[in-house]
Amino acid sequence: MGENAVVFKGTKEGLYIFIKEEMNLDNIKDNLNEKIKPAKRFFEGAKIVNFKGKRLTKEEFDELKSLVENDYGMSVLEEYSQDTDILSDKEEIKESASYEKLPYDNVIQDKVLIVRATVRSGQLIEFAGNIVIVGDVNPGAQIKATGSIIVMGTMRGVAHAGSNGDYGAFVSALNLLPAQIRIGDIITRSPDGLGIRTSVPEMAVVKRGMILVEPYLPNR
Amino acid sequence: MGEVIVITSGKGGVGKTTTTANIGAGLSMEGKSTVLVDADIGLRNLDVVMGLENRIVYDLVDVVEGVCRLRQALIKDKRYPNLYLLPAAQTKDKNAVTPKQMQELTSELVKEFDYVIVDCPAGIEQGFKNAIAGASKALVVTTPEVSAVRDADRIIGLLEANGLKNPQLIINRLRVDMVKRGDMMNIDDMIDILAIELIGVVPDDEHIIVSTNRGEPAVSNNESMAGQAYRNIVKRILGEDIPFMNLESDQGFITKLAKMFGFVKKK
Repeated sequence: MGENAVVFKGTKEGLYIFIKEEMNLDNIKDNLNEKIKPAKRFFEGAKIVNFKGKRLTKEEFDELKSLVENDYGMSVLEEYSQDTDILSDKEEIKESASYEKLPYDNVIQDKVLIVRATVRSGQLIEFAGNIVIVGDVNPGAQIKATGSIIVMGTMRGVAHAGSNGDYGAFVSALNLLPAQIRIGDIITRSPDGLGIRTSVPEMAVVKRGMILVEPYLPNR
Repeated sequence: MGEVIVITSGKGGVGKTTTTANIGAGLSMEGKSTVLVDADIGLRNLDVVMGLENRIVYDLVDVVEGVCRLRQALIKDKRYPNLYLLPAAQTKDKNAVTPKQMQELTSELVKEFDYVIVDCPAGIEQGFKNAIAGASKALVVTTPEVSAVRDADRIIGLLEANGLKNPQLIINRLRVDMVKRGDMMNIDDMIDILAIELIGVVPDDEHIIVSTNRGEPAVSNNESMAGQAYRNIVKRILGEDIPFMNLESDQGFITKLAKMFGFVKKK
């Protein structure tokens, strides 16, 4: 029995139900029941755009549609069509193709929060994704992202990148003078006293289990 | 079992945080294990004055909410071996904590430390109520200004109403030359109004500003008159009977210079 015969997936257009290719109708129905029942209240009134993944016959589509609509009070917005899955696959390829052809290996495709402001003491900016601050981050302010943090200004506060434990995340700033940097669960603090002040853009990354700060434009 | 002392004033900017840092450092110099608690949630400063800001990982609110253990939130001071700081949260406000929770927190701390010094925020609202909740003794800081004395009087009334009898007074930033000219309230006038026991007078001293900006309490500075005043306050807290120091500073620039080169004998 596949526990993940069906997966709920949110996209720009709305909620889709992804169905694994090799599943038969009974499996799918069992799995749907299993997934929805414990969270019936949550799914009630939810609007499903369509089913994706496994190509369904008209009968299968109707049966699944009546299951989620009648038993769980959800609604399926689109009508049955042969090629929904093929169409959406094409779209995804188009989205990513522009950079995948290029010889870059450090590409991140994720959500980004852009803040155009001075982030002041006592302010906390938290986001599931990457954060870009176009401005300064003052002492006492905190930036927390599951991804990376980029400050287009001076970073003087606390930066916590990869807050879900991603050691691949980084913190970079035009002027990196933070009180503290955390990447994943690694914490480092600035040295006491004024320390060395550089005026080149720098970037903090995890190397050999430590947070390392280095210029990211080595030729400047 | 130690003692919980709250440092309060009512009015802002009279030197509560500086006093807390110096008394804490002073107690530690005397060999007492001490923890400083910053109760000024949302406007924390004690960590900056102590030069420990970059060490904060967990704070008071995290402890109260059970995010971490109390031990994890305590920051060891970089100079004094038995001095610790429990920092306030900066991204929350005073309502994140209740007086009952503060009481539990300080009663936990007082088991392990000789002294728990609570830095109270300005004002008489939630933050003040939190700060005094677990305290068994209060020190009221005031400056020789009518407004500061008025607020100190209000605070003394509130402390007594909350069962903190016999608070003691610290007069901060006194300028002897101005008092002499009659331009500043003198000590007796203030005692007369506030009618509580005086535990120390701290003269206005440039060293304080320098040390505050550097994150090093002035109490360890032998040059500083304010540092001396704080050392005396610490000894009085410890129960010693120390006479009040002579604040008459006849030190003009020339005298200071002469002293530096040994032309004038030190008193």
